[in-house]
Amino acid sequence: MLPEKTMQRHKIKRQTDFQIISGWIEEGQRVLDIGCGRGILMEHLIRTRKVKAFGVDTNLDKVKSCVKRGVSVYHGDADSLLKEFPEGFFDWVILSRMVQELSDPGELIRQALRVSSNVAVGFVNYGFWRNRWSTLLTGSRVTNQVFPLTWEEGRPYNPVTVKGFNDFAERHQINIADTAFLKGNWKDQTRFFPNLTAGYAIYHLTGTPA
Amino acid sequence: MYDPPTESTEARPGEIGLVQWNDFHWEETFTCDSGDILPEFSLRYETYGKLNEDKSNAILICHALSGDHHCAGIHSLADKKPGWWNNLIGPGKPVDTNKYFVICSNCLGGCQGSTGPKSVNPATGSAYNLDFPLISVRDMVRAQHLLLTEGLGLSGLYSVIGGSMGGMQVLQWGIEYPEFVQKLIPMATTARQNAQAIAFNEVGRLAIMQDPDWKEGAYSEGEGPNVGLAVARMMAHITYLSDAGLEEKFGREKVSQSAARSQFDAEFEVESYLRYQGQSFINRFDANSYLYLSKALDRFDLFGENGCLEDQLQAIRARTLVIAFKSDWLFPPEQNRSIVHALLRCGLPASYAELDLTLGHDSFLVHAPDLYTLIKEFLAS
Repeated sequence: MLPEKTMQRHKIKRQTDFQIISGWIEEGQRVLDIGCGRGILMEHLIRTRKVKAFGVDTNLDKVKSCVKRGVSVYHGDADSLLKEFPEGFFDWVILSRMVQELSDPGELIRQALRVSSNVAVGFVNYGFWRNRWSTLLTGSRVTNQVFPLTWEEGRPYNPVTVKGFNDFAERHQINIADTAFLKGNWKDQTRFFPNLTAGYAIYHLTGTPA
Repeated sequence: MYDPPTESTEARPGEIGLVQWNDFHWEETFTCDSGDILPEFSLRYETYGKLNEDKSNAILICHALSGDHHCAGIHSLADKKPGWWNNLIGPGKPVDTNKYFVICSNCLGGCQGSTGPKSVNPATGSAYNLDFPLISVRDMVRAQHLLLTEGLGLSGLYSVIGGSMGGMQVLQWGIEYPEFVQKLIPMATTARQNAQAIAFNEVGRLAIMQDPDWKEGAYSEGEGPNVGLAVARMMAHITYLSDAGLEEKFGREKVSQSAARSQFDAEFEVESYLRYQGQSFINRFDANSYLYLSKALDRFDLFGENGCLEDQLQAIRARTLVIAFKSDWLFPPEQNRSIVHALLRCGLPASYAELDLTLGHDSFLVHAPDLYTLIKEFLAS
Protein backbone atom coordinates (compact mmCIF):
# COMPACT_ATOMS: atom_id res chain seq x y z
CA MET A 1 0.00 0.00 0.00
CA LEU A 2 1.20 3.53 -0.77
CA PRO A 3 1.90 5.83 2.15
CA GLU A 4 -0.92 8.19 3.02
CA LYS A 5 0.87 11.31 1.80
CA THR A 6 1.48 9.80 -1.62
CA MET A 7 -2.14 8.68 -1.84
CA GLN A 8 -3.29 12.23 -1.28
CA ARG A 9 -0.94 13.72 -3.83
CA HIS A 10 -2.02 11.08 -6.26
CA LYS A 11 -5.62 12.03 -5.68
CA ILE A 12 -4.91 15.71 -6.27
CA LYS A 13 -3.20 14.87 -9.53
CA ARG A 14 -6.16 12.85 -10.61
CA GLN A 15 -8.49 15.71 -9.79
CA THR A 16 -6.69 18.22 -12.01
CA ASP A 17 -6.83 15.74 -14.83
CA PHE A 18 -10.56 15.17 -14.25
CA GLN A 19 -11.30 18.87 -14.00
CA ILE A 20 -9.76 19.59 -17.37
CA ILE A 21 -11.57 16.75 -19.12
CA SER A 22 -14.91 17.51 -17.48
CA GLY A 23 -14.43 21.17 -18.39
CA TRP A 24 -14.45 20.13 -22.04
CA ILE A 25 -17.55 17.96 -21.75
CA GLU A 26 -21.01 19.49 -21.92
CA GLU A 27 -24.02 18.52 -19.89
CA GLY A 28 -25.91 15.40 -20.96
CA GLN A 29 -23.37 14.28 -23.56
CA ARG A 30 -22.75 10.64 -24.43
CA VAL A 31 -19.39 9.48 -23.14
CA LEU A 32 -17.32 6.32 -23.43
CA ASP A 33 -14.39 5.92 -21.05
CA ILE A 34 -11.87 3.44 -22.45
CA GLY A 35 -9.77 1.81 -19.75
CA CYS A 36 -12.23 3.18 -17.21
CA GLY A 37 -10.64 1.45 -14.22
CA ARG A 38 -12.83 1.65 -11.17
CA GLY A 39 -15.19 4.15 -12.80
CA ILE A 40 -14.16 7.20 -10.76
CA LEU A 41 -13.99 9.59 -13.72
CA MET A 42 -17.36 8.38 -15.03
CA GLU A 43 -18.94 8.78 -11.63
CA HIS A 44 -17.54 12.32 -11.50
CA LEU A 45 -18.87 13.14 -14.99
CA ILE A 46 -22.28 11.66 -14.26
CA ARG A 47 -22.51 13.67 -11.06
CA THR A 48 -21.17 16.98 -12.35
CA ARG A 49 -22.16 16.87 -16.04
CA LYS A 50 -25.13 14.47 -16.01
CA VAL A 51 -23.54 12.63 -18.92
CA LYS A 52 -24.71 9.29 -20.26
CA ALA A 53 -21.57 7.27 -19.76
CA PHE A 54 -20.23 3.79 -19.77
CA GLY A 55 -16.75 2.42 -19.52
CA VAL A 56 -14.77 -0.48 -20.84
CA ASP A 57 -12.04 -2.35 -19.01
CA THR A 58 -10.35 -5.73 -19.34
CA ASN A 59 -9.80 -6.22 -15.63
CA LEU A 60 -12.55 -8.06 -13.76
CA ASP A 61 -11.75 -6.51 -10.38
CA LYS A 62 -12.16 -3.05 -11.90
CA VAL A 63 -15.39 -4.14 -13.57
CA LYS A 64 -16.67 -5.30 -10.19
CA SER A 65 -15.76 -1.90 -8.70
CA CYS A 66 -17.71 -0.13 -11.45
CA VAL A 67 -20.73 -2.34 -10.81
CA LYS A 68 -20.46 -1.51 -7.11
CA ARG A 69 -20.25 2.20 -7.93
CA GLY A 70 -23.36 1.86 -10.06
CA VAL A 71 -21.76 2.93 -13.34
CA SER A 72 -22.20 0.92 -16.53
CA VAL A 73 -19.17 -1.04 -17.59
CA TYR A 74 -18.27 -3.42 -20.38
CA HIS A 75 -15.80 -6.14 -19.48
CA GLY A 76 -13.65 -6.70 -22.53
CA ASP A 77 -11.46 -5.24 -25.12
CA ALA A 78 -11.96 -1.74 -26.52
CA ASP A 79 -10.88 -2.45 -30.11
CA SER A 80 -13.66 -4.95 -30.73
CA LEU A 81 -16.20 -2.91 -28.74
CA LEU A 82 -15.68 0.22 -30.87
CA LYS A 83 -16.47 -1.79 -34.01
CA GLU A 84 -19.98 -2.30 -32.62
CA PHE A 85 -20.84 1.40 -32.81
CA PRO A 86 -21.76 3.52 -35.80
CA GLU A 87 -19.89 6.69 -36.81
CA GLY A 88 -20.32 9.62 -34.49
CA PHE A 89 -22.30 7.64 -31.91
CA PHE A 90 -20.53 9.22 -28.94
CA ASP A 91 -19.93 12.86 -28.10
CA TRP A 92 -16.77 11.94 -26.26
CA VAL A 93 -14.40 9.02 -26.03
CA ILE A 94 -11.92 9.33 -23.19
CA LEU A 95 -8.54 7.61 -23.24
CA SER A 96 -7.06 8.60 -19.93
CA ARG A 97 -3.67 7.15 -18.97
CA MET A 98 -3.98 4.08 -21.07
CA VAL A 99 -2.67 4.72 -24.61
CA GLN A 100 0.85 3.94 -23.49
CA GLU A 101 -0.13 0.35 -22.68
CA LEU A 102 -1.79 -0.52 -25.99
CA SER A 103 -0.17 -2.54 -28.70
CA ASP A 104 -1.60 -0.37 -31.50
CA PRO A 105 -2.67 2.88 -29.86
CA GLY A 106 -2.81 4.84 -33.12
CA GLU A 107 -5.45 2.51 -34.51
CA LEU A 108 -7.53 2.76 -31.34
CA ILE A 109 -7.38 6.57 -31.44
CA ARG A 110 -8.46 6.53 -35.10
CA GLN A 111 -11.32 4.15 -34.26
CA ALA A 112 -12.30 6.39 -31.35
CA LEU A 113 -12.45 9.36 -33.72
CA ARG A 114 -14.68 7.37 -36.03
CA VAL A 115 -17.31 6.66 -33.34
CA SER A 116 -17.02 9.97 -31.51
CA SER A 117 -16.98 13.65 -32.43
CA ASN A 118 -14.48 14.37 -29.65
CA VAL A 119 -11.68 12.32 -28.16
CA ALA A 120 -9.74 13.17 -25.02
CA VAL A 121 -6.33 11.57 -24.67
CA GLY A 122 -4.35 12.02 -21.46
CA PHE A 123 -0.88 10.61 -20.98
CA VAL A 124 2.28 10.94 -18.93
CA ASN A 125 4.79 12.82 -21.06
CA TYR A 126 8.04 10.93 -21.24
CA GLY A 127 9.63 13.93 -22.89
CA PHE A 128 9.40 15.73 -19.51
CA TRP A 129 12.93 16.62 -18.47
CA ARG A 130 12.72 14.75 -15.18
CA ASN A 131 11.67 11.57 -16.96
CA ARG A 132 14.53 11.99 -19.42
CA TRP A 133 16.91 12.58 -16.54
CA SER A 134 15.63 9.50 -14.73
CA THR A 135 16.20 7.33 -17.78
CA LEU A 136 19.58 8.94 -18.35
CA LEU A 137 20.63 8.12 -14.79
CA THR A 138 19.21 4.64 -14.50
CA GLY A 139 18.88 3.50 -18.10
CA SER A 140 15.70 1.88 -16.95
CA ARG A 141 12.06 2.77 -17.39
CA VAL A 142 10.71 5.71 -15.44
CA THR A 143 8.87 5.05 -12.25
CA ASN A 144 6.56 7.69 -10.85
CA GLN A 145 3.30 7.93 -8.97
CA VAL A 146 1.19 6.86 -11.91
CA PHE A 147 3.54 4.05 -12.89
CA PRO A 148 5.12 3.07 -9.60
CA LEU A 149 6.04 -0.45 -10.69
CA THR A 150 9.47 -1.43 -11.93
CA TRP A 151 10.03 -3.44 -15.08
CA GLU A 152 9.64 -6.84 -13.45
CA GLU A 153 6.23 -6.07 -11.97
CA GLY A 154 4.65 -3.50 -14.29
CA ARG A 155 2.75 -3.84 -17.52
CA PRO A 156 4.73 -3.05 -20.66
CA TYR A 157 4.32 0.50 -21.90
CA ASN A 158 5.45 2.75 -24.71
CA PRO A 159 7.08 6.01 -23.75
CA VAL A 160 4.71 8.58 -25.29
CA THR A 161 5.89 12.16 -25.66
CA VAL A 162 4.16 15.43 -26.52
CA LYS A 163 6.28 15.70 -29.66
CA GLY A 164 5.58 12.10 -30.62
CA PHE A 165 1.87 12.66 -30.19
CA ASN A 166 1.91 15.86 -32.24
CA ASP A 167 3.76 14.06 -35.03
CA PHE A 168 1.22 11.24 -34.97
CA ALA A 169 -1.70 13.71 -35.19
CA GLU A 170 -0.08 15.51 -38.09
CA ARG A 171 0.68 12.33 -40.02
CA HIS A 172 -2.93 11.15 -39.67
CA GLN A 173 -4.48 14.60 -40.19
CA ILE A 174 -6.10 14.49 -36.79
CA ASN A 175 -7.26 17.88 -35.63
CA ILE A 176 -6.02 18.97 -32.22
CA ALA A 177 -8.80 21.24 -30.93
CA ASP A 178 -7.26 21.95 -27.56
CA THR A 179 -4.46 20.87 -25.26
CA ALA A 180 -3.63 21.14 -21.60
CA PHE A 181 -0.06 20.61 -20.46
CA LEU A 182 0.52 20.19 -16.76
CA LYS A 183 3.83 20.79 -15.08
CA GLY A 184 5.63 18.21 -12.98
CA ASN A 185 3.23 18.87 -10.10
CA TRP A 186 0.36 17.96 -12.46
CA LYS A 187 -1.50 21.02 -11.31
CA ASP A 188 -0.19 24.18 -12.91
CA GLN A 189 -0.32 24.48 -16.64
CA THR A 190 2.64 25.17 -18.87
CA ARG A 191 2.84 26.40 -22.46
CA PHE A 192 6.58 26.77 -22.69
CA PHE A 193 8.22 23.86 -24.55
CA PRO A 194 5.67 21.37 -23.24
CA ASN A 195 7.63 18.42 -24.56
CA LEU A 196 10.29 19.28 -21.96
CA THR A 197 8.29 21.02 -19.24
CA ALA A 198 5.01 19.08 -19.09
CA GLY A 199 4.71 16.07 -16.81
CA TYR A 200 1.26 15.30 -18.11
CA ALA A 201 -0.50 16.11 -21.37
CA ILE A 202 -4.19 16.10 -22.26
CA TYR A 203 -5.36 16.43 -25.85
CA HIS A 204 -8.78 17.24 -27.25
CA LEU A 205 -9.01 15.69 -30.71
CA THR A 206 -11.76 16.17 -33.25
CA GLY A 207 -12.50 14.99 -36.76
CA THR A 208 -13.46 11.69 -38.31
CA PRO A 209 -10.44 9.92 -39.80
CA ALA A 210 -11.10 6.55 -41.43
CA MET B 1 -3.17 0.41 9.09
CA TYR B 2 -5.51 -2.35 10.13
CA ASP B 3 -8.59 -2.61 7.96
CA PRO B 4 -11.71 -3.56 9.85
CA PRO B 5 -13.39 -6.64 8.39
CA THR B 6 -15.84 -5.68 5.70
CA GLU B 7 -19.00 -7.52 4.86
CA SER B 8 -18.16 -10.68 3.00
CA THR B 9 -19.51 -11.16 -0.49
CA GLU B 10 -19.11 -14.92 -0.19
CA ALA B 11 -22.21 -16.97 0.41
CA ARG B 12 -22.48 -17.48 4.13
CA PRO B 13 -24.04 -20.54 5.69
CA GLY B 14 -27.39 -18.87 6.44
CA GLU B 15 -30.07 -21.12 5.06
CA ILE B 16 -33.71 -20.50 4.30
CA GLY B 17 -34.57 -23.90 5.71
CA LEU B 18 -38.00 -25.41 5.16
CA VAL B 19 -40.05 -23.90 2.36
CA GLN B 20 -43.42 -24.69 0.81
CA TRP B 21 -44.80 -24.21 -2.64
CA ASN B 22 -48.09 -22.53 -3.53
CA ASP B 23 -50.32 -22.69 -6.59
CA PHE B 24 -51.69 -19.71 -8.48
CA HIS B 25 -54.82 -20.45 -10.52
CA TRP B 26 -55.81 -18.20 -13.38
CA GLU B 27 -59.41 -19.03 -14.18
CA GLU B 28 -59.72 -16.91 -17.31
CA THR B 29 -58.56 -17.67 -20.81
CA PHE B 30 -54.95 -17.05 -21.81
CA THR B 31 -54.12 -16.44 -25.46
CA CYS B 32 -50.71 -17.74 -26.42
CA ASP B 33 -48.39 -16.14 -28.97
CA SER B 34 -49.34 -18.96 -31.32
CA GLY B 35 -52.95 -17.75 -31.22
CA ASP B 36 -54.07 -20.87 -29.36
CA ILE B 37 -56.08 -20.36 -26.22
CA LEU B 38 -55.62 -21.98 -22.83
CA PRO B 39 -58.96 -21.97 -20.99
CA GLU B 40 -57.13 -21.60 -17.66
CA PHE B 41 -53.73 -22.24 -16.15
CA SER B 42 -51.89 -22.77 -12.88
CA LEU B 43 -48.39 -21.80 -11.89
CA ARG B 44 -46.64 -23.43 -8.98
CA TYR B 45 -44.32 -21.05 -7.14
CA GLU B 46 -42.31 -20.49 -3.99
CA THR B 47 -41.47 -17.29 -2.17
CA TYR B 48 -38.71 -16.57 0.33
CA GLY B 49 -38.14 -13.54 2.54
CA LYS B 50 -40.67 -10.81 3.28
CA LEU B 51 -42.26 -8.26 1.00
CA ASN B 52 -41.56 -4.82 2.44
CA GLU B 53 -44.27 -2.24 3.09
CA ASP B 54 -43.90 -0.32 -0.16
CA LYS B 55 -43.57 -3.59 -2.08
CA SER B 56 -40.28 -2.53 -3.60
CA ASN B 57 -38.02 -5.45 -2.74
CA ALA B 58 -39.39 -8.27 -4.90
CA ILE B 59 -36.98 -10.28 -7.03
CA LEU B 60 -38.14 -12.84 -9.56
CA ILE B 61 -35.92 -15.83 -10.31
CA CYS B 62 -36.42 -17.48 -13.71
CA HIS B 63 -35.38 -21.09 -14.11
CA ALA B 64 -33.70 -22.87 -17.00
CA LEU B 65 -35.16 -25.60 -19.22
CA SER B 66 -34.98 -28.42 -16.71
CA GLY B 67 -35.36 -26.28 -13.58
CA ASP B 68 -38.39 -25.58 -11.46
CA HIS B 69 -39.89 -23.27 -8.84
CA HIS B 70 -37.89 -24.83 -6.01
CA CYS B 71 -34.74 -22.70 -6.18
CA ALA B 72 -33.81 -22.46 -2.50
CA GLY B 73 -34.37 -24.13 0.84
CA ILE B 74 -35.65 -27.64 1.44
CA HIS B 75 -39.12 -29.16 1.42
CA SER B 76 -38.41 -31.66 4.17
CA LEU B 77 -35.55 -32.48 6.51
CA ALA B 78 -35.14 -35.71 4.58
CA ASP B 79 -34.32 -33.84 1.34
CA LYS B 80 -30.93 -34.81 0.00
CA LYS B 81 -30.55 -31.60 -1.97
CA PRO B 82 -31.78 -28.04 -1.45
CA GLY B 83 -33.34 -25.94 -4.26
CA TRP B 84 -31.25 -25.53 -7.42
CA TRP B 85 -29.92 -22.01 -6.68
CA ASN B 86 -29.61 -22.44 -2.92
CA ASN B 87 -25.98 -21.27 -3.00
CA LEU B 88 -27.11 -17.89 -4.33
CA ILE B 89 -30.37 -17.31 -2.47
CA GLY B 90 -30.79 -17.19 1.29
CA PRO B 91 -30.20 -15.13 4.39
CA GLY B 92 -26.93 -13.22 3.95
CA LYS B 93 -26.36 -14.72 0.51
CA PRO B 94 -25.94 -12.60 -2.66
CA VAL B 95 -29.69 -12.62 -3.22
CA ASP B 96 -30.30 -11.90 0.43
CA THR B 97 -33.68 -13.09 1.69
CA ASN B 98 -33.25 -10.82 4.72
CA LYS B 99 -33.47 -7.90 2.29
CA TYR B 100 -35.43 -9.17 -0.68
CA PHE B 101 -38.69 -10.96 -1.28
CA VAL B 102 -37.79 -13.71 -3.73
CA ILE B 103 -40.26 -15.43 -6.03
CA CYS B 104 -39.69 -18.33 -8.37
CA SER B 105 -42.37 -20.07 -10.40
CA ASN B 106 -42.39 -23.18 -12.51
CA CYS B 107 -42.86 -21.89 -16.04
CA LEU B 108 -45.94 -22.31 -18.17
CA GLY B 109 -45.56 -25.58 -20.10
CA GLY B 110 -43.50 -27.06 -17.28
CA CYS B 111 -44.21 -30.27 -15.43
CA GLN B 112 -43.57 -29.49 -11.78
CA GLY B 113 -47.06 -28.34 -10.89
CA SER B 114 -47.63 -25.62 -13.49
CA THR B 115 -49.96 -26.17 -16.41
CA GLY B 116 -48.23 -28.12 -19.15
CA PRO B 117 -48.93 -30.78 -21.76
CA LYS B 118 -49.69 -33.44 -19.13
CA SER B 119 -52.25 -31.24 -17.36
CA VAL B 120 -55.91 -32.03 -17.79
CA ASN B 121 -57.64 -30.16 -20.59
CA PRO B 122 -60.96 -29.04 -19.05
CA ALA B 123 -62.61 -29.36 -22.48
CA THR B 124 -61.89 -33.07 -22.77
CA GLY B 125 -61.24 -34.20 -19.21
CA SER B 126 -58.00 -35.84 -20.27
CA ALA B 127 -54.38 -34.68 -20.67
CA TYR B 128 -53.64 -32.09 -23.35
CA ASN B 129 -50.65 -33.99 -24.68
CA LEU B 130 -50.01 -32.66 -28.19
CA ASP B 131 -53.14 -30.49 -28.09
CA PHE B 132 -51.25 -28.22 -25.73
CA PRO B 133 -50.47 -24.95 -27.52
CA LEU B 134 -46.92 -24.28 -28.67
CA ILE B 135 -45.95 -21.89 -25.93
CA SER B 136 -43.25 -19.20 -26.19
CA VAL B 137 -40.83 -17.61 -23.77
CA ARG B 138 -43.07 -14.55 -23.96
CA ASP B 139 -46.07 -16.67 -22.90
CA MET B 140 -44.09 -17.86 -19.87
CA VAL B 141 -43.35 -14.26 -18.94
CA ARG B 142 -46.94 -13.07 -19.44
CA ALA B 143 -48.22 -15.92 -17.26
CA GLN B 144 -45.69 -14.99 -14.55
CA HIS B 145 -46.84 -11.38 -14.79
CA LEU B 146 -50.38 -12.51 -13.97
CA LEU B 147 -49.07 -14.47 -10.99
CA LEU B 148 -47.20 -11.42 -9.69
CA THR B 149 -49.90 -8.81 -10.29
CA GLU B 150 -53.13 -10.75 -9.79
CA GLY B 151 -51.81 -13.45 -7.47
CA LEU B 152 -49.33 -11.59 -5.29
CA GLY B 153 -50.58 -8.02 -5.74
CA LEU B 154 -47.20 -6.68 -6.88
CA SER B 155 -46.95 -3.54 -8.98
CA GLY B 156 -43.28 -3.87 -9.74
CA LEU B 157 -40.14 -5.95 -9.41
CA TYR B 158 -36.82 -4.78 -8.09
CA SER B 159 -35.03 -7.31 -10.23
CA VAL B 160 -35.41 -10.34 -12.47
CA ILE B 161 -32.55 -12.85 -12.49
CA GLY B 162 -32.05 -15.99 -14.53
CA GLY B 163 -29.62 -18.09 -16.54
CA SER B 164 -30.00 -19.84 -19.89
CA MET B 165 -33.75 -20.10 -20.67
CA GLY B 166 -34.19 -18.10 -17.47
CA GLY B 167 -32.00 -15.39 -19.02
CA MET B 168 -34.24 -15.28 -22.08
CA GLN B 169 -37.20 -14.71 -19.76
CA VAL B 170 -35.28 -11.95 -18.00
CA LEU B 171 -34.79 -10.12 -21.31
CA GLN B 172 -38.40 -10.70 -22.30
CA TRP B 173 -39.49 -9.30 -18.93
CA GLY B 174 -37.59 -6.10 -19.59
CA ILE B 175 -39.11 -5.77 -23.06
CA GLU B 176 -42.68 -6.76 -22.21
CA TYR B 177 -43.05 -4.86 -18.94
CA PRO B 178 -40.46 -2.04 -19.10
CA GLU B 179 -41.90 -0.01 -16.24
CA PHE B 180 -42.39 -3.06 -14.03
CA VAL B 181 -38.71 -3.99 -13.61
CA GLN B 182 -35.76 -1.98 -12.29
CA LYS B 183 -32.80 -4.32 -12.75
CA LEU B 184 -32.23 -7.23 -15.08
CA ILE B 185 -29.55 -9.89 -14.63
CA PRO B 186 -29.57 -12.30 -17.57
CA MET B 187 -26.67 -14.75 -17.63
CA ALA B 188 -25.34 -17.52 -19.89
CA THR B 189 -28.08 -16.68 -22.33
CA THR B 190 -28.79 -15.55 -25.86
CA ALA B 191 -31.17 -13.30 -27.77
CA ARG B 192 -31.66 -16.17 -30.19
CA GLN B 193 -30.18 -19.63 -30.45
CA ASN B 194 -27.65 -20.37 -33.15
CA ALA B 195 -27.96 -23.43 -35.38
CA GLN B 196 -25.79 -25.50 -33.02
CA ALA B 197 -28.14 -25.11 -30.04
CA ILE B 198 -31.19 -25.82 -32.23
CA ALA B 199 -29.40 -28.89 -33.59
CA PHE B 200 -28.80 -30.30 -30.12
CA ASN B 201 -32.42 -29.66 -29.15
CA GLU B 202 -33.59 -31.47 -32.26
CA VAL B 203 -31.53 -34.57 -31.44
CA GLY B 204 -33.04 -34.56 -27.95
CA ARG B 205 -36.55 -34.24 -29.32
CA LEU B 206 -36.00 -37.02 -31.84
CA ALA B 207 -34.63 -39.33 -29.14
CA ILE B 208 -37.94 -38.82 -27.29
CA MET B 209 -40.21 -39.06 -30.32
CA GLN B 210 -38.45 -42.16 -31.71
CA ASP B 211 -39.01 -44.00 -28.46
CA PRO B 212 -42.01 -46.34 -29.12
CA ASP B 213 -43.33 -45.52 -25.65
CA TRP B 214 -43.82 -41.90 -26.64
CA LYS B 215 -47.05 -42.84 -28.51
CA GLU B 216 -47.45 -39.43 -30.17
CA GLY B 217 -47.36 -37.91 -26.71
CA ALA B 218 -50.35 -39.93 -25.51
CA TYR B 219 -48.47 -42.09 -22.98
CA SER B 220 -50.30 -42.67 -19.68
CA GLU B 221 -49.24 -41.49 -16.30
CA GLY B 222 -46.33 -43.41 -14.89
CA GLU B 223 -45.30 -44.50 -18.38
CA GLY B 224 -43.58 -42.68 -21.20
CA PRO B 225 -40.54 -42.56 -23.46
CA ASN B 226 -38.09 -43.08 -20.63
CA VAL B 227 -35.23 -44.26 -22.80
CA GLY B 228 -35.63 -41.36 -25.20
CA LEU B 229 -35.96 -38.79 -22.44
CA ALA B 230 -32.90 -40.15 -20.63
CA VAL B 231 -30.83 -40.03 -23.83
CA ALA B 232 -32.06 -36.48 -24.54
CA ARG B 233 -31.06 -35.43 -21.05
CA MET B 234 -27.66 -37.14 -21.23
CA MET B 235 -26.82 -35.37 -24.45
CA ALA B 236 -28.16 -32.01 -23.32
CA HIS B 237 -26.22 -32.36 -20.08
CA ILE B 238 -22.97 -32.60 -22.03
CA THR B 239 -23.78 -29.30 -23.71
CA TYR B 240 -24.18 -27.70 -20.28
CA LEU B 241 -20.64 -28.69 -19.29
CA SER B 242 -17.24 -28.31 -20.93
CA ASP B 243 -14.23 -30.36 -21.89
CA ALA B 244 -12.19 -28.87 -19.04
CA GLY B 245 -15.06 -29.24 -16.58
CA LEU B 246 -15.63 -32.91 -17.40
CA GLU B 247 -11.90 -33.58 -17.34
CA GLU B 248 -11.59 -31.95 -13.94
CA LYS B 249 -14.51 -33.92 -12.54
CA PHE B 250 -14.01 -37.34 -14.13
CA GLY B 251 -10.94 -37.53 -16.33
CA ARG B 252 -10.60 -41.15 -17.39
CA GLU B 253 -11.53 -42.53 -13.99
CA LYS B 254 -13.12 -45.94 -14.25
CA VAL B 255 -15.96 -47.39 -12.26
CA SER B 256 -15.10 -50.35 -10.04
CA GLN B 257 -14.60 -53.61 -11.97
CA SER B 258 -17.24 -55.52 -10.06
CA ALA B 259 -19.98 -53.06 -11.00
CA ALA B 260 -19.54 -53.68 -14.74
CA ARG B 261 -21.33 -56.84 -15.76
CA SER B 262 -21.06 -56.76 -19.55
CA GLN B 263 -18.58 -55.22 -21.96
CA PHE B 264 -20.84 -52.24 -22.71
CA ASP B 265 -21.83 -51.40 -19.18
CA ALA B 266 -20.60 -48.07 -17.94
CA GLU B 267 -16.83 -48.40 -17.84
CA PHE B 268 -15.78 -44.83 -17.17
CA GLU B 269 -17.03 -42.63 -14.37
CA VAL B 270 -18.34 -40.10 -16.86
CA GLU B 271 -20.57 -42.74 -18.45
CA SER B 272 -21.94 -43.76 -15.12
CA TYR B 273 -22.53 -40.12 -14.21
CA LEU B 274 -24.45 -39.42 -17.42
CA ARG B 275 -26.54 -42.57 -17.01
CA TYR B 276 -27.40 -41.42 -13.52
CA GLN B 277 -28.34 -37.96 -14.86
CA GLY B 278 -30.58 -39.57 -17.48
CA GLN B 279 -32.23 -41.92 -14.99
CA SER B 280 -32.90 -39.31 -12.35
CA PHE B 281 -34.31 -36.98 -15.01
CA ILE B 282 -37.05 -39.42 -16.06
CA ASN B 283 -38.26 -39.48 -12.47
CA ARG B 284 -38.75 -35.75 -12.34
CA PHE B 285 -39.40 -34.53 -15.85
CA ASP B 286 -42.13 -35.05 -18.40
CA ALA B 287 -41.12 -35.88 -21.97
CA ASN B 288 -43.84 -33.76 -23.58
CA SER B 289 -42.86 -30.78 -21.46
CA TYR B 290 -39.31 -31.27 -22.65
CA LEU B 291 -40.47 -31.16 -26.27
CA TYR B 292 -42.54 -28.02 -25.74
CA LEU B 293 -39.96 -26.11 -23.73
CA SER B 294 -37.06 -26.96 -26.03
CA LYS B 295 -39.18 -25.76 -28.95
CA ALA B 296 -39.91 -22.50 -27.11
CA LEU B 297 -36.13 -22.03 -26.81
CA ASP B 298 -35.57 -22.69 -30.51
CA ARG B 299 -38.24 -20.22 -31.55
CA PHE B 300 -37.12 -17.48 -29.18
CA ASP B 301 -35.71 -14.72 -31.38
CA LEU B 302 -35.30 -11.15 -30.17
CA PHE B 303 -33.66 -10.18 -33.44
CA GLY B 304 -37.06 -10.42 -35.10
CA GLU B 305 -37.85 -10.26 -38.78
CA ASN B 306 -35.51 -7.34 -39.49
CA GLY B 307 -32.63 -9.08 -37.78
CA CYS B 308 -32.18 -6.05 -35.56
CA LEU B 309 -31.88 -6.68 -31.85
CA GLU B 310 -32.42 -3.00 -31.00
CA ASP B 311 -35.98 -3.09 -32.34
CA GLN B 312 -36.99 -5.16 -29.32
CA LEU B 313 -34.41 -4.20 -26.71
CA GLN B 314 -35.00 -0.46 -27.03
CA ALA B 315 -38.20 -0.93 -25.00
CA ILE B 316 -36.18 -1.84 -21.91
CA ARG B 317 -36.10 0.74 -19.11
CA ALA B 318 -34.29 -1.33 -16.50
CA ARG B 319 -30.58 -1.31 -15.83
CA THR B 320 -29.08 -4.52 -17.14
CA LEU B 321 -26.09 -6.62 -16.12
CA VAL B 322 -25.32 -9.45 -18.53
CA ILE B 323 -22.96 -12.14 -17.26
CA ALA B 324 -21.31 -14.68 -19.58
CA PHE B 325 -18.94 -17.55 -18.97
CA LYS B 326 -15.82 -18.09 -21.05
CA SER B 327 -16.25 -21.87 -21.12
CA ASP B 328 -19.92 -21.75 -22.15
CA TRP B 329 -20.08 -23.15 -25.69
CA LEU B 330 -23.87 -23.55 -25.76
CA PHE B 331 -24.64 -19.83 -25.35
CA PRO B 332 -21.09 -18.53 -25.73
CA PRO B 333 -19.84 -15.09 -24.63
CA GLU B 334 -20.31 -13.61 -28.15
CA GLN B 335 -24.05 -14.18 -27.93
CA ASN B 336 -24.23 -12.56 -24.50
CA ARG B 337 -22.08 -9.66 -25.68
CA SER B 338 -24.35 -8.98 -28.64
CA ILE B 339 -27.18 -8.33 -26.17
CA VAL B 340 -25.05 -5.75 -24.37
CA HIS B 341 -23.87 -4.15 -27.62
CA ALA B 342 -27.48 -3.66 -28.70
CA LEU B 343 -28.51 -2.24 -25.31
CA LEU B 344 -25.60 0.19 -25.39
CA ARG B 345 -26.43 1.21 -28.95
CA CYS B 346 -29.92 1.97 -27.66
CA GLY B 347 -28.27 4.30 -25.16
CA LEU B 348 -29.47 2.12 -22.26
CA PRO B 349 -27.51 1.54 -19.05
CA ALA B 350 -26.02 -1.92 -19.49
CA SER B 351 -23.02 -3.69 -18.04
CA TYR B 352 -21.24 -6.84 -19.09
CA ALA B 353 -18.97 -9.20 -17.19
CA GLU B 354 -17.32 -12.33 -18.51
CA LEU B 355 -16.25 -14.88 -15.94
CA ASP B 356 -13.48 -17.37 -16.41
CA LEU B 357 -15.14 -20.40 -14.87
CA THR B 358 -14.41 -23.83 -16.30
CA LEU B 359 -17.80 -25.46 -15.92
CA GLY B 360 -19.33 -24.41 -19.21
CA HIS B 361 -22.91 -23.28 -19.62
CA ASP B 362 -23.87 -24.46 -16.12
CA SER B 363 -21.23 -22.20 -14.53
CA PHE B 364 -23.95 -19.91 -13.25
CA LEU B 365 -25.08 -22.68 -10.90
CA VAL B 366 -21.74 -23.39 -9.22
CA HIS B 367 -20.05 -21.80 -6.24
CA ALA B 368 -18.44 -18.70 -7.78
CA PRO B 369 -17.38 -15.77 -5.58
CA ASP B 370 -16.94 -13.40 -8.57
CA LEU B 371 -20.47 -14.14 -9.72
CA TYR B 372 -21.80 -13.62 -6.21
CA THR B 373 -19.99 -10.28 -5.87
CA LEU B 374 -21.35 -9.03 -9.19
CA ILE B 375 -24.94 -9.98 -8.38
CA LYS B 376 -24.78 -8.66 -4.82
CA GLU B 377 -23.18 -5.35 -5.82
CA PHE B 378 -25.44 -4.82 -8.80
CA LEU B 379 -28.49 -5.36 -6.63
CA ALA B 380 -27.12 -3.05 -3.92
CA SER B 381 -25.97 -0.24 -6.26
